[in-house]
Amino acid sequence: MEVTLLVQAADDAFRILEKARGQAVELLNTATKLTSDTRWMEEKKIQAVLMGAQKKKSGLQNFAVTFLLLFAFWALLSGKFDTFHLSLGVICSFVVALIGHDLLFANVRVGDMRVIVQRFFAYLPWHIYQIVIANFHVAYLALSPKMPISPKIMRFKTKLESDISWVTLANSITLTPGTITIDIEEGEFVVHALSEKLADDLNTGEMEDRIAHVFMEADHIYIQDVLDVARIFAEFR
Amino acid sequence: MIIRGEDIIIRTIARVLVPFIQLYALYVIMHGHYSPGGGFQGGVILGASMVLLFITHGYAEVNRKFSENIAVLFSSIGVLIYSGIGFLCLILLGNFLDYSVLYKLLNVDPAHARSLGILGVELGVGFAVMAVMFSIFFDISTGGVLPEDEEERD
Repeated sequence: MEVTLLVQAADDAFRILEKARGQAVELLNTATKLTSDTRWMEEKKIQAVLMGAQKKKSGLQNFAVTFLLLFAFWALLSGKFDTFHLSLGVICSFVVALIGHDLLFANVRVGDMRVIVQRFFAYLPWHIYQIVIANFHVAYLALSPKMPISPKIMRFKTKLESDISWVTLANSITLTPGTITIDIEEGEFVVHALSEKLADDLNTGEMEDRIAHVFMEADHIYIQDVLDVARIFAEFR
Repeated sequence: MIIRGEDIIIRTIARVLVPFIQLYALYVIMHGHYSPGGGFQGGVILGASMVLLFITHGYAEVNRKFSENIAVLFSSIGVLIYSGIGFLCLILLGNFLDYSVLYKLLNVDPAHARSLGILGVELGVGFAVMAVMFSIFFDISTGGVLPEDEEERD
């Protein structure tokens, strides 16, 4: 009898202890969750501030540069420089830039624009030289009696990242005689080449390297990135 | 129903060219009384730029910039500008679309008033033609069924 009572009492004591332990664990869990929640929210907030600042800045810059480009185009077309026509040009450029400021410079940082334009014009002479060489090669293929062609379709993965550099590479390949870009499938170029030499020239990847240099992609550190982040951190402090 | 095209080359080139096409269209409208062109031609070019964007970027992108409701609004505004200037000339005791009488309102000599009146009418024609061209293409390509309607039905 007494033994049973003792066992019962011990059981009760155990149960109470278990309950208390469960409550304590629950409490601790809630506390952890709360802190992690607040931390997550804070991180989100910081991220939102960062993104917002970047977006606003690049949006304004895009708008301004688009407007200036369009106005220069208007002046070129119009050729009338009296107040009436220039003010018409300002209004028209403003409206078009308002509608399409996210079209012209999607995926391009305007801060890098000056460097990109400079490097693009530095790239052109080399590309024209390549076109001339390939022209002679294709003429040789067409004129020689044996006609030593070996047409083939090749695929290669590019290291370029943005759509504008893909398009530049694709158009450069198509402009060079003897090679044609058929398609771009998720960063994989499908190219038709007329002969072994042209395919080899493409496979060396010099054109790709030069375009990566023009658009500052693939193992290139953005100076503009560092400058942006520095300013935002100064604001936080 | 036209869906967003997946060819990245065409999409990027269209994206870069569309603002310049639109500005060229506005140039054609504004210089219609000096050089070849005018309201109808400029309006068609403007509508074509919208159609190009529609083909390459799909319904959602264009609907954000220039929805069908705005197209309807623009076509009515265009006709309103045209007929408004015409009837204004009637009210000022001239003939319908006789712009030279507008000098009473605009405070310039009659020849200049004529030039400004033609510019206004061409702007109206351009708006109307652009909106109607776009909405014709829009109706044909969607078959009158918008993606929103389809979602509701499903």
